[in-house]
Amino acid sequence: MNQPVPSLIHRSPKTLFPYLFTALFLLAFIDSWRRAGIEPMVLFAAKGRGNVWKFLSGMFPPDLSWNFLSLMFRPTLETIQISFLGTLIAVIIGFPLGLLGTHTLMVRGILNEAELQGVPVRRSLRYAIYFLARGVLSLFRSIPEFVWAFMFVRAVGLGPFPGVLAIGVAYGGMLGKVYSEIFEGVNDRPLEALQSLGANKLQIFFYGWFPQALPNFVSYTLYRWECAVRASAILGLVGAGGLGQQIEISMRMFNFNEVLTLLMILFLMVAGVDYLSARVRAML
Amino acid sequence: MNDLQQQYRLEEVRKVFGRHQIALDGIDLNVQRGEKLALIGPSGAGKTTLFRLLNCTLRPTTGKLWLDDCDVESLHGKRLRAMRRQIGTIYQQHNLVQRLKVVHNVLAGQLGRWSTPRSLMSLAKPADLGLAHKALEQVGIADKIFERTDELSGGQQQRVAIARVLVQDPEVILADEPVSSVDPTLASTIVRLLIDISESTRKTLIVSLHSVDLALAYFPRVIGISHGSITFDLSPDKISEAMLEGLYAGNDREQPATEAVNEPASPIAYPSIS
Repeated sequence: MNQPVPSLIHRSPKTLFPYLFTALFLLAFIDSWRRAGIEPMVLFAAKGRGNVWKFLSGMFPPDLSWNFLSLMFRPTLETIQISFLGTLIAVIIGFPLGLLGTHTLMVRGILNEAELQGVPVRRSLRYAIYFLARGVLSLFRSIPEFVWAFMFVRAVGLGPFPGVLAIGVAYGGMLGKVYSEIFEGVNDRPLEALQSLGANKLQIFFYGWFPQALPNFVSYTLYRWECAVRASAILGLVGAGGLGQQIEISMRMFNFNEVLTLLMILFLMVAGVDYLSARVRAML
Repeated sequence: MNDLQQQYRLEEVRKVFGRHQIALDGIDLNVQRGEKLALIGPSGAGKTTLFRLLNCTLRPTTGKLWLDDCDVESLHGKRLRAMRRQIGTIYQQHNLVQRLKVVHNVLAGQLGRWSTPRSLMSLAKPADLGLAHKALEQVGIADKIFERTDELSGGQQQRVAIARVLVQDPEVILADEPVSSVDPTLASTIVRLLIDISESTRKTLIVSLHSVDLALAYFPRVIGISHGSITFDLSPDKISEAMLEGLYAGNDREQPATEAVNEPASPIAYPSIS
């Protein structure tokens, strides 16, 4: 009785996949290694070693003088403010676009079966909105926040504002995509029940979808805020304010001890956001 | 011109998922207003699909379905929602939102009447506490009103689902295997509760049960379904042991409870259920 089963499995085309995957992976690895110019030994060559040593030894001891720290207070606050407002804008952009880009809300599944069957115009309209939302989200996140910041600096001048806009748009694209995936992942049975008692899509969303998605929603949004704190340091390099600008100045002046202080501040901020998000998640 | 007492009329209703998965294969059915009927049959016979057609979640692939003398094919958007509001469904797995408090799950029965802003505000401050309390009292768990739904037992959750239907106050109550996940004593209590509600408010009641005994004991009309077709539609005293055996022939009658758990959430995504 067991005889035919193994032979069936053997004939299944699916068994080829692991080999194919391994071969592709090896190919990608070898080719990338070659073309990316990976030469580990260069890291330890005499010249490189000297430079690394200069950089690292210059960092110690970090500049913890009150003089310097008090000067850094404002840029630190500015970084937190940039990341906070940037993430807020990202949520405002990402939430509605993520909703419109949610497959199971817009076009397929049990919530659209009765509504879209036999009405091709309505169905095509829904698909159009869905693809438009996904397209906009892809566009927003495929352009790096660095490039967005560069453009916004041209548009609105130097300072924190272009940083806020850059984080808002780029992270809006990322949040929207992840939100739509979170929304697609919820249990759809309660949603079916809400639909069957006459609720409209928005009501179904707020009574069924959102409560189920809330923990993931909050924790991913807070994670993005953490990323935004880090990103605002990079954005400083193109003149978008905050700690990044200070890091850039200190690096250019070869004041590596100041750089270390700034990195420590950055670390404390990221750890702080992480702690905060852990507390919030525990509360939900 | 049509009989006003008619709740449902189905003519040659077929439902096919994908290209070949025939879930329902030509169902003819008339249900009068206020009638109580039970559906029995093996797992995968198409009962759940039939319920999804009856509550306008799915549409027939071919054939006609009239609800209150209204051809559901013509309903979309607002009118479709208005029709759904008249049908209350109790599901096997409760289909409550686990993370919401009981009161919100119960008041969700009002969503078909409430505007969207009003329903949103009710999530912050329950809009009609008295109504929720009364419904929960009727099913005997008024003390659980502010508890989170996932803290309740299976039987309690099923009562919350019934309270939601009470708040919804529909013309028809559909219950798809409402007692398959509770113990036998509780099962007959819940079935009796549904029958009481149906009788006291003259609501049409359609229940699918995998316990044949419950169906024969409490319902004046019992319909057997297998392989997507109706095999008999009789009062319980006319149903013979041979008919029941024929209904479940080739199926394991002790097992249908597992169907519920393994059955995919959406037949559209997984067309292999029938």
